[in-house]
Amino acid sequence: MSGIAWFVGNILPYITWSIFFIALLYNFLKWFFIPRPIVWAIFPARYNTLSIYANIVKRIFTLPGPLFVDKVIFVLALLFHFGLIISLSLHAKYIFTPNLPIEYLLGTAAGIAAAIGSFGFVIRRMTLKEKAVSTPEDYFSLILLILTLSLGCYLRILNLVDHEAMWSWVIGVLTLRPVDPPANPIFIVHILLAQIYIAYLPFKTLMHPIGIFFGQKVILDGRHIHKTKEGDQA
Amino acid sequence: MKKDEISALSTRQKGKTLDEFKISPLFDEYRALPDSVIRPNEPKLHKFLEAMRRSLSKENWPFLLPYKLTLEVCTHCGTCAEACPVFIGSGRKRIYNPLYRADMLRKIYKRYFTLSGKIFGKFVGAEDAKEEDINSLAEAAYRCTICRRCAVACPFGLDNGLIMRETRKILADIGIAPDELRENGVYTQLRTGNAPNIPYEAYINILEFLKQDIRERKGVNVDVPVDEKGAKYLVINNAGDYLAFTDTVAGIIEIMNYVKADWTLNSSKTGLFDVVNYGLFYSDKDMMKVIKAHLETFKRLDPEYVVLGECGHAFDVLKHITTDLIPPEERPFKIISWMELLDQWIKEGKLMLDPNKNPEPVTFHDSCKWGRCGGIYEEPRRILRASCKDFREMYPNREWNYCCGGGGGFAIMSKYNFLQFRMETYGKIKAKQLRDTGAKIVATICSNCKAQFREMINYYNLDMRFSGVSELVANALVYK
Repeated sequence: MSGIAWFVGNILPYITWSIFFIALLYNFLKWFFIPRPIVWAIFPARYNTLSIYANIVKRIFTLPGPLFVDKVIFVLALLFHFGLIISLSLHAKYIFTPNLPIEYLLGTAAGIAAAIGSFGFVIRRMTLKEKAVSTPEDYFSLILLILTLSLGCYLRILNLVDHEAMWSWVIGVLTLRPVDPPANPIFIVHILLAQIYIAYLPFKTLMHPIGIFFGQKVILDGRHIHKTKEGDQA
Repeated sequence: MKKDEISALSTRQKGKTLDEFKISPLFDEYRALPDSVIRPNEPKLHKFLEAMRRSLSKENWPFLLPYKLTLEVCTHCGTCAEACPVFIGSGRKRIYNPLYRADMLRKIYKRYFTLSGKIFGKFVGAEDAKEEDINSLAEAAYRCTICRRCAVACPFGLDNGLIMRETRKILADIGIAPDELRENGVYTQLRTGNAPNIPYEAYINILEFLKQDIRERKGVNVDVPVDEKGAKYLVINNAGDYLAFTDTVAGIIEIMNYVKADWTLNSSKTGLFDVVNYGLFYSDKDMMKVIKAHLETFKRLDPEYVVLGECGHAFDVLKHITTDLIPPEERPFKIISWMELLDQWIKEGKLMLDPNKNPEPVTFHDSCKWGRCGGIYEEPRRILRASCKDFREMYPNREWNYCCGGGGGFAIMSKYNFLQFRMETYGKIKAKQLRDTGAKIVATICSNCKAQFREMINYYNLDMRFSGVSELVANALVYK
């Protein structure tokens, strides 16, 4: 096991996740403590906390805006986000178990879906420049994702990573008793790219997984700071 | 401006270029603001950045969260583009993409107010601002009506319309705001009680004329109380209606008399008798001045209900923004919209209506400020169904309706070839929507929308007319 692999597998994760959580917390608290805006809702709005949050979750998973105005981005976003959520869940399962029954098929399909989605985003940015006004960083983050996802798919489809070794490595990192990560160099590159992405995530527009809760709440929250006068019925 | 001059305006402006007006382009081939307002050769970047710094501080607390979120979280996915009527109407020109317009400010934000922008520069979309960029931004801010359809579409709930509103606020802070909205709008309104500057005597004459007109057309005598203290309902209209859309005012007068309501209008003798608040479109400070003047007027008249007439942005300001910014003890009256009151009276059977009196097909235009920003969708529909024989929906509608192009103050902005811009972008989409309904009447409850429809019907030779809801209801009234 080379020093680089050891660093990427057993040192970098602590740096990566520290950056991720501190920056995430910083952004969350920054937005959380900005004064609550006046009613700036888009109607029909919601008037109780449960309904507001239920609708935020519904909107996150059903993307009504893109569905109505731009079906291409709707399809790409669904492929990408559902693919990514399933893929990440199958990575998180190593905390508990090395294997799941339908993991191979599910993981392969999810990884391919996410890769197609992110590749579609790049194509869309390149071909529809009048719509998706892009910065170099927008391309950078997508290319980083595509590379990470493609390598992950490659490893998954060809079964190049031993699940038991993966499990031991993850548990080792979590319990501060490091063991060698799986030795495949492509795996090392995969986790290096993934960690760059994770550390980079909270610093840029990719904060949207957190920002979406604040943004959608502004749009959905129809409650006044001061109560309106009762008995508005004339 | 006389009525016949207004109706001829759109025709005269067809195809005129900025060269013919002897004025230079700053953003596109149109101009909304004259050189005397933009002062294109005057350095203003430093002042702009200072004003922007203030806009990003807690001084701007009511809008700070959506403002900062939209600057920071936008992923440039471009979903908002396909929601924007000016982008679609322009033939999908990149410069009319809401994302492009918002990025004009976002670039400055990143460059001067974020660490990543200072370090990574263009890579993260941060760019040094030049003097001409501020001139360009000033024009770009007046290509968006802040209809907020982009915010409905945004998967993250971000609001590029709000960014344009904040841009307008920053510009107003350094002295750049349209004369139509500031000098001839807010300042005139605060000085004379109404933005169109109708003298008291003329106002009373208009009301007398309307009484006479109702008597002649309908054979009924009506009273128009003015400045009655302690009336149950104080009705306050857009003062422009007394000049341009008198049928709407006549409709309100007739309905109030029909139900024998204890009501009153007011005049400049008691304060503001104009419900508009153009401050909403460019400056929170000026908006607050008008809100305070409105509240002082209302308190002076001491009604139980303040009834807001057919004016969309006034509803947004007085129903929502005022409710949040002004504590209840400083507004000892209830604020309701004319639509809510009419809807309630129809439900209660106080209005006997015969829909056959309005036999022509009628469609309804959801004004952005009444609908998306106000929440009034169903009331006007119920009212129109009760008073018109053939009500038909326009598609898309409600929160997805397209802005007509009169919002954001545009309805009263027609310098140079700006009216042509309104017609060739927003107007183009709306005209198609209107044609597709096959309706002969487009009903709406916003004076700015009516002003836009007046031009649009002329510009596109649409075989229809526009109307307020009030006059349609008044026309359907059954007298025993």
